[in-house]
Amino acid sequence: MIATNIRRLSLYLVLGFASVSGALAWWQVLDAHALATRQDNPQVIAARRSLPRGSIFDAQGRLLASSTVLDGISRRTYADPAFTHLIGYASLRFGATGLERTWDDLLTGRSDPNPLRDLLNDILARQPDPHDLTLTIDRRLEDFAAAQLGHNVGAVVAIDPRTGAILAMVSSPTYDPTGFSGDPATATGPFDAVAGAAGNPFLDRVRQGHYTPGSILKVLTAAGALDAGAITPQTTFPDQPKQEVDGFVVQGFTIREHDLQPVKPALWALSPALQVSSNIFFAHVGLGLGPDRYLDYARRFGFCAPLQIGSDPGALPVDPSYVSGQSDGGCAPFSDNVELASAAFGQARVSVTPLQMALLAATIANDGAVPGPFIVRDLRTHAAAPQGGPTAIVLEIYGGEGARPAISSQAAREVRSAMIDAVQGPIGRLYAGAGAVARFGVSGIETAGKTGTAERGPGLKPHSWFIGFAPAQDGATPSIAIAVIVEGGGTGSGHAAPIGGAVMAEWLKLAAGG
Amino acid sequence: MHAVPRPVELRLLLPLAILVPLGFAVTHIAQTGRLEAGPMGVAIGYVGLMLAAHVALRLLGNRGDQLLLPAVAAIGGVGIVMLHRLPQDLLGTDAFGVRLGMATTQLLWFAVGVTAMVVVADRFRDDGPLRHFKYTWALAGTLLLVITFLFGREVNGARLWIFVGPIGFQPGEAIKIVLVIFIAGYLAEKRALLAGASARIGPLRIPPLPYLLPMIAIFVLVMGIVVISRDLGTALLFLGIFLTMLFVATGRRSYVLLGLLLFVAGSFVAYNLFGHVRIRVDNWIDPFVDPSGRGYQTVQALYAFGRGGLFGEGLGQGLPTIGGHLPIPALPTDFIFAAVAEELGLIGAFALLALVMVFVFRGLRTAMLARDDFSAMLAVGLTASLGLQTLIIVAGNVKLVPLTGITFPFVSYGGSSLLACFVVVGLLLAISHRSSVDAQVEGRGP
Repeated sequence: MIATNIRRLSLYLVLGFASVSGALAWWQVLDAHALATRQDNPQVIAARRSLPRGSIFDAQGRLLASSTVLDGISRRTYADPAFTHLIGYASLRFGATGLERTWDDLLTGRSDPNPLRDLLNDILARQPDPHDLTLTIDRRLEDFAAAQLGHNVGAVVAIDPRTGAILAMVSSPTYDPTGFSGDPATATGPFDAVAGAAGNPFLDRVRQGHYTPGSILKVLTAAGALDAGAITPQTTFPDQPKQEVDGFVVQGFTIREHDLQPVKPALWALSPALQVSSNIFFAHVGLGLGPDRYLDYARRFGFCAPLQIGSDPGALPVDPSYVSGQSDGGCAPFSDNVELASAAFGQARVSVTPLQMALLAATIANDGAVPGPFIVRDLRTHAAAPQGGPTAIVLEIYGGEGARPAISSQAAREVRSAMIDAVQGPIGRLYAGAGAVARFGVSGIETAGKTGTAERGPGLKPHSWFIGFAPAQDGATPSIAIAVIVEGGGTGSGHAAPIGGAVMAEWLKLAAGG
Repeated sequence: MHAVPRPVELRLLLPLAILVPLGFAVTHIAQTGRLEAGPMGVAIGYVGLMLAAHVALRLLGNRGDQLLLPAVAAIGGVGIVMLHRLPQDLLGTDAFGVRLGMATTQLLWFAVGVTAMVVVADRFRDDGPLRHFKYTWALAGTLLLVITFLFGREVNGARLWIFVGPIGFQPGEAIKIVLVIFIAGYLAEKRALLAGASARIGPLRIPPLPYLLPMIAIFVLVMGIVVISRDLGTALLFLGIFLTMLFVATGRRSYVLLGLLLFVAGSFVAYNLFGHVRIRVDNWIDPFVDPSGRGYQTVQALYAFGRGGLFGEGLGQGLPTIGGHLPIPALPTDFIFAAVAEELGLIGAFALLALVMVFVFRGLRTAMLARDDFSAMLAVGLTASLGLQTLIIVAGNVKLVPLTGITFPFVSYGGSSLLACFVVVGLLLAISHRSSVDAQVEGRGP
C-alpha cells in the first residue's frame, strides 16, 4: 500500500522535475535570443562597451556607420543624418535603436549567421568577429530625398515594387547621434539637446508616424472595389457637392476649393473621379464594397496589423495602420455606414504610416501583390579599414518576405490606369501634375500617382500627401514606388507631389546612369 | 559492529577526486590565467572529506544505500566549485581570528555536516528514540520556533536566525526534520484509521478530522509561526512535505487537492493582506515592469540563464559581477542555480537536477524497502523535504512560481541548511542500513 503510493509519488516528482526542466530550457535555449537582445541586459551593455562593432554601408559600399575602440570604449561615428532613423544609434548610455538594435547580435559578432560556427563559438567560448551590413539604399537617393524635404516636417519612403527593397527612407527633422554614441560620460548633453529640440526628432515618421491619409486612400478603396467586382472602371455615381447620410453631412468635392472653374460636376467614372478626387464618388464605392469586404481588403494590403521591414531576427518593426478604430491591435468593425463612407476617402478614424502608403502604391505597381519590404541586403565579414568599403566576403544575402497577392492583376491594371490619369490626365495634371517625373527631366516615362490633402480639423493646416510609382506606362515594370508626407503642408499638389516626382525622377536617372 | 565493504560507493566517489579539483583549476585559470596551489586546498579538503565519510561508514559497518553519499557528494561538489568561483569576500566568517572566504567557510560546514551525517547514521540505527517521543520532538521544534520568533535576529526582513556567540544558525532547518519525524510517527500510528474512514461533504471526500486533529493542530501552529516570520519559502516547503506524507500514508489524492485548494485560498488572502507577498507575486507575473528595481534580481537571473544557453559560458567565464558588484545579490544562496546554469549551460543544469533526482529516487527506494511504516514514512518525508526544496527554489529561479528564499540543498551557501541536509542523509542511511540488515537476517540478501 505504502509502496504503491510511493511509486505514484515518484511519478509526481518526475513531473515536477520535468516542468522545471522545461521552463529552464525555455529561458536557456528558446527564449535566450530575446533575452540576449534586451537593452537592459548587462551582457549587451558590457559587450557594446569595449567590443568593436561592425560597419554599415550603403548599396554602393559608402560608409554610413563605423566604430573605433579608443581607451577601451567603443565609439560609433555616423556619416549621414539622413540615415539616422533607420540605422538608429548604439549608445552605451541610452541603449540602441533602429537597425543598430535589431542587428546588434550580428554587428557585435555575439552571434554568427552560420549555425555551426555559432555553436562552435559557443562551445569554445570564442569571441567571434563583428560583421558588416550593406543596405539596399543608395546614399545619393537618400540625400536627395532628405534635401527635397528640407526643413519641412515629414517623411519620404521609396520602395522597389519588384523586390520590396527600400530605396529611400527619410524622416524629418533628423539629428546626428554620433555625440551620444561614444563615451557614456559625455553622452547626456547631446542626447538631451535632441530630446528637447522642436519637431520630436527621435520619432521615425516613416514607421511610427500616424497620419490621416486623405485622398490617397481612395487608391485602396478603388482597388478593393474593382477586385471584388463592386464597380467597373465605367461605373458612375451622381456627384453632388454634399450628401446627407443618416443625418451626417458628407462633404462633396467642390470645384471652387481648387480653383478649377472649367470643371463642372458630372456623372464621373473611376478615372475622372480619381482625377478630381471626388469624395462622394469614393464614398459610394466604399458603401458598395461594404464594411466587411472593405476591412478584408485593407488587411490584404497590410493594414490592421504591425508590419516589419525585413525578416526576423533583425526586422525593423512598423506600427500598424488602421482604416477604422483600433481594437485588440487590429481594426475594429466600422461603427456605421457614415464611418465607412468617410473612411473610403481617407477621413474618419483612418490612421496610416507612410510605409504602409508606399506599400499601397508598390502593390498597384507590382500587379496587385504586396511586396515584402527589406532594407539590409547582405552581411559580410568585418572590413578592417571601412573607409575603403566593405569586404568581398558575403556571408548572407537577404531579401524580402516575398510578395503576397492582394488583388488581381486585372484590378491592379485598372487602378494603375486611373492613377496615371490622376497625374497626367486632362484634369488630374492640374492637381497632381507636379508628381510626374516628366517635370523633372525624365522624358518618355509615365507616372501614376495620387495626391492627398488630409484634413486635421479646424484651424490646422492639412497634411500634404503623395503616393505614386514609375515607370507606369502599359507594358513597363515600375521600378520605384513612393509615399511622401509633408506635415501641415497644405494641399497634396502643393508640397508632396513635387517632392515625390523629383525623387522618382532622380532614381530613374541614377538607375540609368548605373 | 563489523566493518563492511562499500565498493559501489567508493567507485562512484573516485571520479569526484578528479572532477572537483579540476573544477577549481578551470575556474581559477579562467579568472586569473594562472594555476595556483593555494585554492586547491579547499578542493582537496572537500574530496578528502567525502572519502573520509566513506571510510567512516565502512568502519562503522553501515550497510545502507551506497548511492546516497556519492549523489550528495557530486551535488555538493558542483556547489563548492561554484562558491569558489564567486568573489570570496562576498560572504564568509571571521572565525578564530582569521577571515575565511566563502568556499573555505562552506568547506568547514561540509565537515560539520558530514560528521553529523556519520554520527546520525550510526546512532539512529535504532529508531526508538524517534518513534516513541514524537510529541516531545514536536514540542521541542515548536519551542525552538517560538524562541526564534521572539529572540531571533532579523536578517533581510525575516526573523530566522539565532546567534549563540558568533555562530548563527537558522532553527527553521532543524524544525523541518523534527516536523518530518513527528508527522511520520503520527501517520504510521494512525495510518489504518486514516486510510479507511472518511467523511463526505457533497462530492468532496474530506479527511476524518478527529483522527487528524492533533497533527493538523501542530502543523497549523508551526505554519502560523513560519508565515508570521515572513519565511514564505519554508512555509511552502512545510506544506509540501505535509501533503506529500499525507498522500503516501493514505493514498488519497483528494487530501492533497484539498490542501492545495486551502493553500491557494490562503495565498489569495496573503496577497491582498501583505505587501511583501504582493511584491513577490507581481514580480513573478512580470519582473520586466520594473527591471532595475523590484524585478532586478529575477530579471538578472533570467539573463544569466539566457547567457548560459545550451552549453554554458564555461566555468569561471560567466558574468556574475558587473563593475565589481554582483548583479544578483542573493547569488550564493537563493540564485546559486542561476550561476550554475549560466556557466555550465542547460546541459550542466540538467545534470545537476538529474543528480538530485538520483538522490530522491534512492531515498524513495529506501522508503519502499523499509521494514515498518514509521521508517517508510520517515524516509519519504526526509526525501521529499530535499526533493521539494530543490523543486521550489529551482521553480522560483526559472520564474515558474514566485521566488521564495530557500536554499538549494548541498549547493547554496549556508551552514544551517548544509547541516540539516546532511542529517537527512544520515537518517536515510540509518533507515536503509536497518532494512538491509533485516533482509540479510531473513536470508534475502542485501
